[in-house]
Amino acid sequence: MINAMPVPPSPSPGLRIEGLSRRLGERTLLADLNLEVGPGECLALLGPSGCGKTTTLRLLAGLDAASAGRILLDGDDISRLSAGDRRVAMVFQSYALYPHLSVADNLALGLRIRGMAAREREERIMAVLELLQLVELRLRRPAQLSGGQRQRVALARALLRQPRLVLLDEPMSNLDAQLREELRPELRRLLCGGSQPVVYVTHDQQEAMGMADRIAVLREGRLQQIGSARELYEKPANRFVAAFLGRPAINLLPAEGQRQLGLRPEHLVPVETGGLAARLQQREWWGHQQLLWLESARGDLRMLVAADQPLPETLEVSWRPEHELWFDSHSGERLAAS
Amino acid sequence: MKGFPMNTSLVNTLLMLPALLLLAIVFAWPLLDSAWLSTQASSVLTGLAPTANGGANWQRLLGDARFWQDAAGTLRFAVVSVGLELVLGLAMALVLHRPGRGRGWLRALALLPWALPSTVLALGWRWIYNDPYGPLNSLLKLFGAPAYGFLTTPATTWLFTVLADVWKTTPFVALLLLAGLQSIPAELEESLVLEGASPSQILRRLTLPLLRPWISLALMFRLAQALGVFELVQVLTRGGPAGSTESLALYAYLNAMRFLDFGYSATLVVATFLLLLLLTAMGWLLLRRRPLEISR
Amino acid sequence: MRSLLLLWSLAPLAWQLYTSFVTPEALIQGAGMAAGSFWTLENYRQVWLADPPIWRYLLNSAVVGAATTALTLALAVPCAYGLQRQGGRLRWAVTLTLLATAIFPTVLLFLALLQLARSLGLANNLLALSLPYAALCLPLAVLLLRAAFADLPPELEDAARLEGLNLARRLQHVLLPLLAPSLASTAILVFLFSWNEYPIALTWISRPELQTLPPAIARIAGSSLFTVPYGAFAAATVLGSLPLLLIVLIFQRSIVSGLTQGAIKG
Repeated sequence: MINAMPVPPSPSPGLRIEGLSRRLGERTLLADLNLEVGPGECLALLGPSGCGKTTTLRLLAGLDAASAGRILLDGDDISRLSAGDRRVAMVFQSYALYPHLSVADNLALGLRIRGMAAREREERIMAVLELLQLVELRLRRPAQLSGGQRQRVALARALLRQPRLVLLDEPMSNLDAQLREELRPELRRLLCGGSQPVVYVTHDQQEAMGMADRIAVLREGRLQQIGSARELYEKPANRFVAAFLGRPAINLLPAEGQRQLGLRPEHLVPVETGGLAARLQQREWWGHQQLLWLESARGDLRMLVAADQPLPETLEVSWRPEHELWFDSHSGERLAAS
Repeated sequence: MKGFPMNTSLVNTLLMLPALLLLAIVFAWPLLDSAWLSTQASSVLTGLAPTANGGANWQRLLGDARFWQDAAGTLRFAVVSVGLELVLGLAMALVLHRPGRGRGWLRALALLPWALPSTVLALGWRWIYNDPYGPLNSLLKLFGAPAYGFLTTPATTWLFTVLADVWKTTPFVALLLLAGLQSIPAELEESLVLEGASPSQILRRLTLPLLRPWISLALMFRLAQALGVFELVQVLTRGGPAGSTESLALYAYLNAMRFLDFGYSATLVVATFLLLLLLTAMGWLLLRRRPLEISR
Repeated sequence: MRSLLLLWSLAPLAWQLYTSFVTPEALIQGAGMAAGSFWTLENYRQVWLADPPIWRYLLNSAVVGAATTALTLALAVPCAYGLQRQGGRLRWAVTLTLLATAIFPTVLLFLALLQLARSLGLANNLLALSLPYAALCLPLAVLLLRAAFADLPPELEDAARLEGLNLARRLQHVLLPLLAPSLASTAILVFLFSWNEYPIALTWISRPELQTLPPAIARIAGSSLFTVPYGAFAAATVLGSLPLLLIVLIFQRSIVSGLTQGAIKG
């Protein structure tokens, strides 16, 4: 994949990561990551905690040192630049607003340090405050703001830099569920579709699907699969991706020799005859749907059906063959459809 | 130089270096110097110039009855004072920990004896113990008892140096234990209350075990300080009466400043240091146990 | 319980206060004297007009205290920052060294330090006292400040790095302003130590007009072997303790929380 010959960096726009790794002593936090993010594209890094997604973000920002690999931004190798020289903006999970400074001073600090003239500084800050509807709040301290307002200030600080790359570390995880849904389109409008690539770290698959053009799934420091949300859902590279994406989680039936069958709960349907016999154990009623917990000869199954579906104590379930996902029972890799 | 992370470990070391250098000059060098000086004769007899005298100082130390008497007296003083300070400090910490109006002021006022200079307070105690005009003797007179020589009765004077020391340093112990009390989540105590535990049961079964690390810390700290007691006895009793309250540090001081025998003074300093090291190491071994983790 | 505690802590101090305001005759004879010959300000007049006057010692102590506090913080802040950022064996070794030096009884150092001062020509130099004082305060100061640095969310500094602030700027604009309460309580503790230190001040400074308060007051009391002028001494004590009393009462919250926080996190 990586060309052994020294190739002059192509002035290809966007972000390009080559063989990026980080090791701490014996532990490998990130192993040989390769990926590209186009200009204006939003890539979500998705995975459970400790999978290496935040590590990747910190390497991109220059906050931690990589053990190996290169980071190219619009063709320039930025891996040797210090964090302050990369023109990379980052929105932190905790927002990292300076608690002793007002909103306006929070925004001004970086510009002032870089010696920007007061006039220009004011203008740029005013512009970004207006864009994010923060003008009235500009004299408040972070402690006097709501969670959503704090997030907007953190975004404002990121945009103010006119960054070449925007990084977001779980920017929504401190907000309540309703606000999260409301803010998603707003975040998309502000960040994505510009000229700079956006890398968005989250452990919430719904958020990743809602925000990102493509999703990269990481596990234990290794990239599992990268693709659109739909590709990941329909053609997961392995058992881990299949189990991590989709809620309720996929049913993994007991292995049959070399193979193991995975069936998503939403793909199971009750049938009159000819299906797999099952007994109803429990049900959760979700309003528009209900989740059934079944016991069958092939193990326990979860099944998602319409809320008004009447269900007897014993029933038979079936599925369409094209919904079967087969995995190698040892390696977990998905096998071509049989 | 601009560029990616200068080795952060190097930066950290450079940042710590000035402070560590000063510590080395003020702590390590004097100890090494004293160790060297303890093998030298350096007194009025040699014109204060150090001349090697083999182990003469150390030999003298082994046969020096005054040294052994001072060592025993200092140890007795330290053990009794620190013991009392721990008990009273715990009581004080429990009072200071209880919520109530004016708790901040109470803490500040309770802390005052610790914040004021020990020299000055020692002089104050000298006046309080004064025979026959001090307030303690006035109290005795009130009850018709004869005046007592608090600082002139060789058998008991050390007890009154202990009292002055306990009064001065108990607030410090209390403050440390207060820190410990504050680190114990209230839910732990509340769940015991729900199970019907009495206050004394809570103290024994919960508070004391969880305070262990802080008690050990206070114990080590105070023991080391008490073994080096100097100002208090120098000002309060000058080691008297009849040398009954002379501490090792005071003896070392007198050898240097009064008898101008620097070689022997250094020997006493090193001997005190070794004694201290031995006792703290013993204390540490006795108290060493895994620190308790409080899960929240 | 509370009043018992206050009685225990304050009664000896109250006695000093009382002593400083009464005549020597009143001290000996107790109550039953005419008010006119009982209460007096003579003790204060005496120490104020003595040679050198008490304010001279107050000034000396204040100068040493300020210099010590400045020097200690200047050394402790970078050290605490480095220690907090450092991991592994070095961190462990430095922390252990600090703990060991923190509990070390400083009186054992006076002899060698005196020789050092003499050979470097630092004896009878008021400001030079702040060198050993800073060293003696450093262990506690570094441990307290390290705990304070540990309490700051690391993302704050990361955010500042991304904005191109170098270490000095990060300390100046972000870290130190947030550390202000801990800096204040550390500074107060250092000042208290410096104000109260006795053995080194006693041996380094021999000229009366350069003495700090503790040896000066000890000298007032020791001027006569047989009759200690308790009234004058008590007046000196009250005057010498007043600044500390004010500091402790004004900053009680930050002293207590600074010390307890440091102990909890350290």
